[in-house]
Amino acid sequence: MYQSFIGLEIHIHLDAETKAFCGCKAHFGDEENTNVCPVCMGFPGVLPTLNEKAIQMSYTVARALNCKLSPNTKFERKNYFYPDMPKNYQISQFAEPVGRDGYIDIEIGDSIKRVRIHDVHFEEDAGKMIHAGDMSLLDYNRAGYPLLEIVTEPDLVIGEDAEAFLKSFRRLVRYLGVCDGNMEEGSMRCDANVSINLKGAGLGEKVEIKNLNSSRFVRKALNYEIERQSGMMDEGKAVVQETRLWNENRDQSEPMRKKEDANDYRYFPEPDLPPFRPSEEFMQDVENSLCEMPLVRKQRLMNSYGLSSDQAEYIHEEKYMADFFEQAVFSGAEAVQVYSWLSSDVKKLLNRTGLSLEDCPLSAERLAKLISMIGDGQISGKIAKKVLDYIFDEDKDPETICNEKKLVQISDPTAIGKIVEDVLAAHAQVVEDIKAGDARQMGFLVGQVMKASGGNAAPPVVQSVLKEKVLG
Amino acid sequence: MSDFEKKWSEACTQPQTLKAYRKYVEQWEEQIGSFLEFDPLRSLEADIPQGPLTGIPFAVKDNIAVKNYKLTCGSKMLEHLVSPYTATAVKNLQKAGAVMVGKTNLDEFGMGSSTDNSALKQTNNPWDTERVAGGSSGGSAAAVAAGLVPFALGSDTGGSVRQPASFCGVYGLKPTYGVVSRYGLTAYASSLEVIGVVARTTSMCKTVFEAMKGKDPMDHTSMDHTPSGKEVKTVGVLKIEEGALNPEVKASYDSTVERLKKAGYEIIEIELPTLEYVVPAYYTIATAEASANLARYNGIRYGHAPVYAENPTDLMRKSRHEGFGDEVKLRVLLGTYVLRSGFQDQYYVKAQKIRTAIRNDVERWYDKADILMMPVFPTPAFHHGSSDLDTFQQKQADLYTCTANLVGHPALSVPSTMENGLPVGVQFMAPPFEEDRLFQVSSVLEKEFQAPEAPGYHTDWS
Repeated sequence: MYQSFIGLEIHIHLDAETKAFCGCKAHFGDEENTNVCPVCMGFPGVLPTLNEKAIQMSYTVARALNCKLSPNTKFERKNYFYPDMPKNYQISQFAEPVGRDGYIDIEIGDSIKRVRIHDVHFEEDAGKMIHAGDMSLLDYNRAGYPLLEIVTEPDLVIGEDAEAFLKSFRRLVRYLGVCDGNMEEGSMRCDANVSINLKGAGLGEKVEIKNLNSSRFVRKALNYEIERQSGMMDEGKAVVQETRLWNENRDQSEPMRKKEDANDYRYFPEPDLPPFRPSEEFMQDVENSLCEMPLVRKQRLMNSYGLSSDQAEYIHEEKYMADFFEQAVFSGAEAVQVYSWLSSDVKKLLNRTGLSLEDCPLSAERLAKLISMIGDGQISGKIAKKVLDYIFDEDKDPETICNEKKLVQISDPTAIGKIVEDVLAAHAQVVEDIKAGDARQMGFLVGQVMKASGGNAAPPVVQSVLKEKVLG
Repeated sequence: MSDFEKKWSEACTQPQTLKAYRKYVEQWEEQIGSFLEFDPLRSLEADIPQGPLTGIPFAVKDNIAVKNYKLTCGSKMLEHLVSPYTATAVKNLQKAGAVMVGKTNLDEFGMGSSTDNSALKQTNNPWDTERVAGGSSGGSAAAVAAGLVPFALGSDTGGSVRQPASFCGVYGLKPTYGVVSRYGLTAYASSLEVIGVVARTTSMCKTVFEAMKGKDPMDHTSMDHTPSGKEVKTVGVLKIEEGALNPEVKASYDSTVERLKKAGYEIIEIELPTLEYVVPAYYTIATAEASANLARYNGIRYGHAPVYAENPTDLMRKSRHEGFGDEVKLRVLLGTYVLRSGFQDQYYVKAQKIRTAIRNDVERWYDKADILMMPVFPTPAFHHGSSDLDTFQQKQADLYTCTANLVGHPALSVPSTMENGLPVGVQFMAPPFEEDRLFQVSSVLEKEFQAPEAPGYHTDWS
């Protein structure tokens, strides 16, 4: 009946240390109005200087999104008054953005969808205005942050698609190391536009939705909006072009401004910044900063290591984890074992310690060694868990820990035989009962031997020695 | 250093001369009001480096930032703003040993040709206090003409250094766009303007230009100065239409041509048919850029704020309503108008096309002439209060000076004659980076006619 079209505008903070057009620190969470200077405060006479590292990151993202890259990217002034914007114009891009006409393949459920990218452009962020009672407070720390805006074509259909897109996109920028993708802290933001129409009738009237602070809200807001517009169409009402605000407390969108109230941004070329022409060396650096894309990696993890889709999904979520995984396998561990450890015991320890895999004491080599020690029968799975704890506590190699803590598995039948004899001597009655046919008591003896060995005896060996000594 | 420069280099550094110098300045200031702030002591606290300008005092137009000095831009909006930083051009001069003594009056944000658009003070012409010193760098030109400083910085967006220099009888250089850093120059029309020099002699002008030029990492539109070193042989003289110039200015123009001939230059007559489009193109581009450049003044972070505002939007609206003068409001409105979506092709884009046509029109003459000569302004200094020239006529009269701004080429205003007790200047224009050609011709003419001394002028501080 109806067809819906969703396009996204995603803003990411580029992790470029300094602001887009001055040397101020671009850092979240510092004391208000401390990362400011005459340039980002818009004092008379100041001029912008382009942060080349941030521009390089922009080209990297555009390249990763398969865009046509501009050989001569230009800057424009976008004019509008807002108290948190020091110059009352934003340096942005319009005529010749960093990249355009790209695409990204994303996984939605079991299928892969290609979403076209309209353009990728560089701009500066504004400050922050906080309303407190009858006062408005301004913090300009964020004013001038390097920002990259990615505009998709309206290729998505429902809220779930948009949510999947955002997750894929977040993973991508984290893989590239250009943004942490944190929507709660605002380093990644998303506006969405949605229109619906009768099937086959093309795009409808576009409604823009703002204030979407998580990918979950994006899904909910879009599905709400599709419902709302469908309802209007059912009643024969016309959908009007407007901007709406998502109210996360009420789970509904509310009107913000109508089309006729939209700003006329009066774009014109920024006279203070000449166009940027990337050199060959610059473009080489862009190529070098690319990496295997998350989806490609996931597919490779499945094909090369025999992981299931769910397993590969877990491993490829973070580039570091995927690298860690492959390094551990390269060091000799079995792939599914590495996956099991990473997704259970290691994960639990990371949660408990609050560390990330990157800065915890467990290296891929240590995990591989731990796994191989189990395989060799040097330690049991149970001991291995203890060893993992010690690695986290003491930052030492698994062998060192086993030696120091005497956590080596006893699998020598002679050594175990001695313990068994002591146990048998202490439990003569039990031995008699077993001999008389009560086989259930055997388990009790195994337990006693394990206890006497401090848990280090290899259970299969204990069983065979016991059997031999008791039953002959 | 010449005797003139040597004398000046001692003005501030010797206690007894400093006292006499300050007194001289005070006396003149009662008549001309060229300074908004005069305080050599603040600059003398620091050690003065050795260099080509050691000890020489200079003034800076009050739209150029000097740390710890005010930066009013002649506006009520910024009346109490003290600059937190120093412009690169000023820094370069300080490194060369020059001593910044004060900030000079101007038309509000550089918008005007008379300095009468200053919201803070009236500046008079040292030759006739009933008349304007020109603008917008009127304070700088008046101060140099009265001998209060041997040179001063101005800014030239459409003639704002050259026209007041001509009105006051001193030299006024607009360098090639980008050769002097704009970092620290309060933006009015970014793609047109440049920091320029008002000076008493050609050689002073050259020394100052050499000291302040050069690529600046703080200004991405700045570049290194790469002159050709060519010697000027041919001068292309703009043919003047009947009635285009006031008779005194025409007489002065003709006598300069005679002097050039006598000095052995080959003269060719040139025409610039695009001249009639210069003013509309200039005001379209300048006001468009101004509308964005002046948007930052909203009373929130600094500058004039109203006593009471209902909300942030009301605060911005009232600040701008109360803080800006009429001429500024006019230009901001005009600029906003020409940039509206749907109208850009008709105005802004068209003006940029005209700009290219003007550049082509000018540049074709450089095959035939090494330097071009044209008037600075059609009249000598006019009276205060727009009685001889209303503000619209003042804008129309900018055609000869705006040309150099639209094409970005260097131009120099040179004192040529005295007419009925008022100085009149003439303008030379050269290809980009060829400031030296301007200085060559100016030095030759200076042998015949030096910057005249206004009644009461002297430089003896002993």
